[in-house]
Amino acid sequence: MEERIVKFIAALRAAGVRISLAESEDAFRAIHYLGIKDREMFRLSLQSTLVKDANNLPVYDELFPIFFGGNEMPPMINPSDDLSPDEAQMLAEALRQYNDQLRKLLDKLTNGERLSPEELERLAKMVGLTQMDNLHYREWMVQRMKKALHFREVQEALQELAEILGKLGMDKQRAEQLTQLMQANQQVIEDQLRQFAGQRIAENMSDRPKDEGIDSLLNRPFNALSDRDMERLRKEVQRLAAALKTRVALRQKRAKSGQLDAKATIRANLKHANVPIELKHREHSLKPKLVVICDVSTSMRYCSELMLSLLYHLQDLISKTFAFAFINRLEFITPDLVDRDPHAAVAQVLERMPAGYYNTDLGNSLEDFQREHLGTVDSRTTFIIVGDGRNNYNDPRLDIFNTLAHRTRRTIWINPEAPGLWGSGDSDMLKYAPSCDVVLQANTLAQLTAAVDRLLT
Amino acid sequence: MDNTRRFSSPGELKAALGTEQYIASDEIATIMYLSQELGKPLLTEGPAGVGKTELAKAIAQATCRELIRLQCYEGLDETKALYEWEYAKQLLYTQLLRDKLHETLSGTDNLSAAADRLADEEDVFFSMRFLLQRPLLKAILSEQPTVLLIDEIDRSDAEFEAFLLEVLSDFQVSVPELGTLAAVHRPLVVLTSNNTRELSEALKRRCLYLFIDYPSIEQEMAVVRLKVPELNAKLARQAVELVQSLRSMDLRKSPSISETLDWAKALVALNARHLDIPMLETTLSILLKHESDLQRAKRWMQRPSGNTRPGEDFDTRPSRWRN
Repeated sequence: MEERIVKFIAALRAAGVRISLAESEDAFRAIHYLGIKDREMFRLSLQSTLVKDANNLPVYDELFPIFFGGNEMPPMINPSDDLSPDEAQMLAEALRQYNDQLRKLLDKLTNGERLSPEELERLAKMVGLTQMDNLHYREWMVQRMKKALHFREVQEALQELAEILGKLGMDKQRAEQLTQLMQANQQVIEDQLRQFAGQRIAENMSDRPKDEGIDSLLNRPFNALSDRDMERLRKEVQRLAAALKTRVALRQKRAKSGQLDAKATIRANLKHANVPIELKHREHSLKPKLVVICDVSTSMRYCSELMLSLLYHLQDLISKTFAFAFINRLEFITPDLVDRDPHAAVAQVLERMPAGYYNTDLGNSLEDFQREHLGTVDSRTTFIIVGDGRNNYNDPRLDIFNTLAHRTRRTIWINPEAPGLWGSGDSDMLKYAPSCDVVLQANTLAQLTAAVDRLLT
Repeated sequence: MDNTRRFSSPGELKAALGTEQYIASDEIATIMYLSQELGKPLLTEGPAGVGKTELAKAIAQATCRELIRLQCYEGLDETKALYEWEYAKQLLYTQLLRDKLHETLSGTDNLSAAADRLADEEDVFFSMRFLLQRPLLKAILSEQPTVLLIDEIDRSDAEFEAFLLEVLSDFQVSVPELGTLAAVHRPLVVLTSNNTRELSEALKRRCLYLFIDYPSIEQEMAVVRLKVPELNAKLARQAVELVQSLRSMDLRKSPSISETLDWAKALVALNARHLDIPMLETTLSILLKHESDLQRAKRWMQRPSGNTRPGEDFDTRPSRWRN
């Protein structure tokens, strides 16, 4: 059992749940108190000690039954036991007309046998299940194994079987009963496959070697990231943000330069008999107000998403954030960010964008901004654009951009492209650049973090 | 005399919470029980108003322990949460005890001897007498076992969270003048969070985690029946069903259980026989606290088809934004 739990924890970790050694120790202590007899209590003891984030609960709920219990599948019924010799004869005759491939599964169904471990193993090799280590592919693997077993053809065969048996002289009701039993058996085999696939994937997950160091990923350009890299970076963002947060919080704390705080001063100097020796100052609010406009077109999506993630995790250092996303039109996305993680929020926004062909058009988006959201910008705002400045030869609307840059405290452009490429082709970057206070190149997560660090000073 | 109560099984704990008018699910009871057995703090998360704070109050009642509450807010620091020296009192005492001090010091011949003697008496001024105990220290030093509720931890600053780690893992505090003060009894600790910001990994690691979501229809019915028994069963069910369907709408603030209860009480006070549109119109503001939400809900209820899925065709975005 212990080994099973250790494997379960490894699989959870592979699925992205952060579990420390202390927490797995707690899990074992919890089991010590509540035992493993009551499955529900067992589930809850592991859950409360291992999963500390509501977002991870679905993963937990998916993996738990794979590892523990749920083994009680409905028993297979052996329909052939029930048959008279005559009927058995007829069935054998009826089945004879199917080819060998179908016969294999049909025989199993008539005899009420499950797939043997060797057969499952062979199937796993055939469909590539042995390499799978992501539960997303579970259903797909089941489908492939079903296909390899000719599930659909067998299903069709079963439908006509009753008819054939009837022609051979079997009682109609008996024939129907028989095929129904066989269909039920087929369902059991499908469940078996599903369970097997889940177990196999989970085992692969727990055996997966630890991922190579995150440092190389931090310095990999956004356009060279695979989906899996991105998955890991999403998790990494949280830690980067935490580090950044402590740094920035310290800076904000040290930068006290506000007016005298009489109340705090009196309190602090009670010990000096109210002789004001230590002066206390009101904390000067240095929290910036941000307006972020992110390009979420295909080329810029990762960069924008990570940027939004960083800002989301830094919320308590920022007094207010207005986030916008654009491709050819502007969307206000702060509400989407409130209760979803940025990845889901960006996906949501993309869903709202009209389907079909569209081009990045910052000019038009700026026009939208001017028309509907100009109120969000004032002299205390830091205005940030995340984009490559490629406008597809549309009007860049420099006039609006200049007004905005003028009205805000600072204008910062974050561009993943190397400065050498600015102005080439459809890039309007060189036209926008003079109005910006700072233009930062951020082509990797490390650079992006450094950029965010700068804009919080 | 220790008359506090320990539970020997989750079932017992659930029943005890039940007598305190708190309807706990098996999940809540089991995890709460584990928290008692392992001596680990319990971190509860979930939407506002699902009874996280209520749970701490109920468990305090059920175990006959005193409830000590620390409400977190931005800027909360050690002097408000842990302890503070009562300078004013110290000063007052030195003033009043001047004669006595004079007497004590009178026998000495030189200044250093006087200082030495004064140093011997120093303990008087840095003793528990002058220590102003804030909730955390109170929970640690209490002679009786207590329940410590740290409410809305997500509102406090990250630094405070880090400071809390020491207290929560060892249940001891070091006061420079007095040395280390260790807990007489380990308090039962309940932390609540509305998830307005991500809590640190370190804090989560030290806690058991319990996510409390909105209750199912049956659970909410049970709560309403328990707390507002005057409301007749049929009306209560209608009311709960309506609240549940409001929750499935995309609102700025979904109605919580406490708001359901307020509403139920209001229905009793207004002597409502059945839920009709005028009655709803007048009382809906108890459930929904945003004007836009109210408008939305009203429009939904006035649709002739009535109880179809509210989330569905309730998209007020212009059609070009839908997909």
